[in-house]
Amino acid sequence: MDIAPPSTTKTPMILLALGFALLVIGSYLGLFVAPAEQYMGQVQRIMYVHVPTVWSWMLCVCFTFIAAVIFLFRNDLKWDARLEAGLEVGTLLCAMLCCQGAIWAKPTWGVWWDWDPRLTSVAVLLFAFLGIIALRQFVDDPPRRAVWSAVATIIASADLPIVYFSVKWWNSLHQTQSSPSTVSSAFHLPLRINAFGVFFVMVAFVMLRSRLATRKLREELV
Amino acid sequence: MQGVVTGGWGFVIAAYSITGIALFGYAAWLIQKNRERR
Amino acid sequence: MLTAALRKELLLQWRSRSQMMAVFVFGATSLLLFSFAIGPNAAALRTFSAGFLWLGLLLSSTLTLAESFHAEMENRALEGLLLLPSNPRSLYYGKAIANWLQLTLLGIALVPVMVVLYDAGTTQLLTLLVVILLGTAGLSAPGTLYAAMTAQVRAKQTLLPLLLFPLIVPALLASVKATSLAILGDPMHDLRNWLTLLGAFDLIYWSLCGLLYPKVIEE
Repeated sequence: MDIAPPSTTKTPMILLALGFALLVIGSYLGLFVAPAEQYMGQVQRIMYVHVPTVWSWMLCVCFTFIAAVIFLFRNDLKWDARLEAGLEVGTLLCAMLCCQGAIWAKPTWGVWWDWDPRLTSVAVLLFAFLGIIALRQFVDDPPRRAVWSAVATIIASADLPIVYFSVKWWNSLHQTQSSPSTVSSAFHLPLRINAFGVFFVMVAFVMLRSRLATRKLREELV
Repeated sequence: MQGVVTGGWGFVIAAYSITGIALFGYAAWLIQKNRERR
Repeated sequence: MLTAALRKELLLQWRSRSQMMAVFVFGATSLLLFSFAIGPNAAALRTFSAGFLWLGLLLSSTLTLAESFHAEMENRALEGLLLLPSNPRSLYYGKAIANWLQLTLLGIALVPVMVVLYDAGTTQLLTLLVVILLGTAGLSAPGTLYAAMTAQVRAKQTLLPLLLFPLIVPALLASVKATSLAILGDPMHDLRNWLTLLGAFDLIYWSLCGLLYPKVIEE
């Protein structure tokens, strides 16, 4: 097995700059221009970063799952590099959104954590991804590492909907809190801008990280 | 929900800071690693 | 093919039955430790008895699952098995079923311990058996797959639980809930729903893991 050389950094760097620019604009609007929520006060502003992070995280997980499936079918290590990138970026976004969610929850529900089905499912997937990343550290043979991570990723991804429904159900036996709804005020502009911002940054991250993974694979296969 | 949630700026700043630090930090690390050696 | 694989597995397990005894003691000790962690609060212990049972079972499963591939690794028999014109899937299902039976026996053995330590008696023994069967099936399918993977790497003891635990959250949740309802009562008749969830989980994972197993032991 071998792998093609990594591509240039031009495209990801442009996306990165664009993404960050959008985030700065969107966050400024969300923090200082948008009006405060009627009941939630200032805390609802967290949604302007939280919701975009969640959307990009979901896309990243889909991408990781697809990379795993494609790798198993094609045996092309290029897709393992992308899987590695997706796992790491996905974990980063996941950790971020758990923090954002918990910080939002404290003033809103009074607790850092509640068995909100969404937050809980995300936490389970976070640990699943961490486990797969740990697995990769202990397997030295690139093709085998690739196959095993792909298999583990598929199994973990298949679990996600099951976890969500079971926790939702488990939780419904107790009182439910209000879910972190999308921004209910009419001011959607910061949300949309930030959504694109995080998205471009996420894509740039995956491209740059794939590049690093490709380089490492080339060294290992020599 | 009972009443209005007040004084939330601390939480907002915390959330935005974590977001910013994570994104900028990871970006910086990626750029540095990509520039290494070659 | 499957029956041959299964028979081999059961024979191997019968030969190492002293080890099973040790695992049972481990499980029972865990249950004891949980009661110390909670304190002498009889009501609390009874309320959470189902949770303790399943946690004890889950922790013990990491021992039995890892052991199930020990024989193969000792004699590098995994590679030998690949040379035989046998179906790797039969191998997987043989092992998974054997592990399932082993865990079921362990679960059944731990029930009296639970009853005594937590005053968690119940007349719903058949229900309890069904829950144990369905729940341990949920542990066994992915557990056997991951045991096959991690048997071949360093740090296998940490990797197996690390990979398995997040995955089986729905099965754990449902098993604990169902067991709890069997012990404490089921006013809303929710039990059937939890058993359905467990059944669905088992169906999905017994198929998916069997499908993916050949890839895992390839090469």
